[in-house]
Amino acid sequence: MAELTLDSVTKIFTDDDGSDIIAVDDVNVDIPDGEFLVLVGPSGCGKSTTLRMIAGLETITDGEIRLGGERINEQPPAERNIAMVFQSYALYPHMTVKQNMSFGLEESTDMPDEKISEVVTESAAMMGIEELLDRKPSELSGGQQQRVALGRAIVRDPEVFLMDEPLSNLDAKLRSTMRTELQRLQEDLGVTTVYVTHDQTEAMTMSDRIAILNDGVLQQVGTPLDCYHEPNNEFVAGFIGEPSMNFFEMSVEGDRLVGEQFTYPISAATQDAIEGHENVTLGIRPGAISVDVGSMPADDHDFATVVDVVEPMGDEENVYLAFGDERGDEIETFVATVGGMQRLDSGQTAVAHIPESAIHLFDVTDGQALKNRDLEDLDEKDPHL
Amino acid sequence: MSQNESDGGLFEQSWSRISLYAFLLGMVVFYLIPIETGLATSLKTQEAFTGRYPYLPPLQGATFEWWSDAFFSLLDGLINSLILVIPATVLSGLFGSMAAYGLTTISWRGQVGIYSLFVAGIFIPYQAVLVPLTVFWYNIVPIQDWWLESVANGISVFGLFEIPSTFMFLGWELGFQPYHWQLISLIITHTAYGIPICALLFRAHYKKLPDEMVEAARLDGASIRRIYRRIILPLSVPMFAVVFIYQFTQIWNDLLFALILVQNNEAAVVTQQLVDLGTSQSGTNFPLRMAGAFIAALPTLLVYVVFGDKFAKGVAA
Repeated sequence: MAELTLDSVTKIFTDDDGSDIIAVDDVNVDIPDGEFLVLVGPSGCGKSTTLRMIAGLETITDGEIRLGGERINEQPPAERNIAMVFQSYALYPHMTVKQNMSFGLEESTDMPDEKISEVVTESAAMMGIEELLDRKPSELSGGQQQRVALGRAIVRDPEVFLMDEPLSNLDAKLRSTMRTELQRLQEDLGVTTVYVTHDQTEAMTMSDRIAILNDGVLQQVGTPLDCYHEPNNEFVAGFIGEPSMNFFEMSVEGDRLVGEQFTYPISAATQDAIEGHENVTLGIRPGAISVDVGSMPADDHDFATVVDVVEPMGDEENVYLAFGDERGDEIETFVATVGGMQRLDSGQTAVAHIPESAIHLFDVTDGQALKNRDLEDLDEKDPHL
Repeated sequence: MSQNESDGGLFEQSWSRISLYAFLLGMVVFYLIPIETGLATSLKTQEAFTGRYPYLPPLQGATFEWWSDAFFSLLDGLINSLILVIPATVLSGLFGSMAAYGLTTISWRGQVGIYSLFVAGIFIPYQAVLVPLTVFWYNIVPIQDWWLESVANGISVFGLFEIPSTFMFLGWELGFQPYHWQLISLIITHTAYGIPICALLFRAHYKKLPDEMVEAARLDGASIRRIYRRIILPLSVPMFAVVFIYQFTQIWNDLLFALILVQNNEAAVVTQQLVDLGTSQSGTNFPLRMAGAFIAALPTLLVYVVFGDKFAKGVAA
């Protein structure tokens, strides 16, 4: 087991017509021993390419990857002591589960057959697939194949696990079960793990730290809650969190932010944070907005709105609100998440309270965060956290 | 009323059925009559054959004489053909599969260029290489000298073990014959000629194998050779059935290469012997030729029967 370091790692693909495509641009991440790091980003952001470079399946154009302090750029995949779980599981279809799991040990070690058989049976027991050992992959369900693929990686006792969207082919219920199981497994084994996904829920729930990539550029590395509450920029703020953060373009006019739909007064501290900016993007998490029916706007952070669409989820509801008193196709809405007991209906008027302590402000041009929400008074202001 | 309508419908339907079956029956007769004619002819005495329609069944003057005659006349040719076809089929399949693996599953610079040379190889007509081929085997490559020495002294395989020039196999005494060198040149020629088409067939198959599986094997520590041996080769079995049937039929039925490379009567393959079978100054013995043709065609049918179920899988894969 060892720590993994990506040092200014860059990958450039050269197209057939000679033009260069930068898939991964100067990515720096230190992954300490035993950490579960999730690489997350929209499709095509370079996260899989990064993973494949760590595995050795893709060459590294520039920069260095170190495993336990040792440069592994030039090592072939077989010598890196890394095990990978693929999205398609990539099981060998002509071999039984047992042969699938033994293959790596047979090819990469001098272990005698009895020892291999012992290790495989042990790992199979850990994954709960002992009774499947003599079956072929085609005779297994998707979930079982997934377990075999994990088992095949565990058997190798590698220094690093790489997982490329391993849960995306499973149905929703199985996925959440496997999520918990994977997390527990990783904690038990204590193996450094890099996990690639486009699903921010997976990223939030499983990881020790998240690394968010967009267009090949690393946006932020941090704990899930850091990324959620203190995003580096607008992209991270919008990518992490479900439903996404609401964004409004505002112009700065003294102690007020003026937008197309509403005007938002700001305190002196906030004014300092955005000094020198004429325009900012205001961001607010749906959960930070509280919605009240049957009252009048009481203070200047209360806004009169009308309920457009309600998405009940049981324990909570996503409510789409429009400023003013009209709703329709052309009128832009924003989302608020309210408790499931708060029964709202389409067409109802409501008062939305947007607390100043919970707002995020971003630079309009480069999206950098100018002000993130205050974390000190989280407990009082946000009933959903 | 509705009764009448449905009657009319049924009536019309049965007419279209009848004409369909009549057409199908016609096609069956059309396809089977040459085979039936051949079989009927091969079972008739020459007297029964002359002056009657050849497709009539051998009711009078039936005989199996021609079949046994033809078998014993063609026996040497059948043996020579087997000596040629089995190694040439296996080798071209194996090399074709290896080439396709190297050109498809492993990626390296310039492989498309090499692959297009393979494809071009498929389209070189046999006739275009006849003269160079003869010159190559008779004047350039000293295969004849090497073989004659081997027949005298046995073959040493890389100094590891010796194959004696005569050996026992299933109770038969087999031995290298001086004329076998012509079959060896034919084996190599057919192998070389078969590799491109085999590589093409295998490549289509290998392209469909998931990349991630090969990558998983690489991460598992398997070398390029081991991946071929343990992953790719076992998954190629259905395609090998396709290639074996195709190559076996192709090489077994070839006459042109054999005619120019085999100039020694003892080394003649079955297609060469079939040319001369039943022809003499006094005329052509058609029943004998017919029986010979069936005997010569039988092995390709057998191969199809043996590999048939795998063949279906390979074609569907």
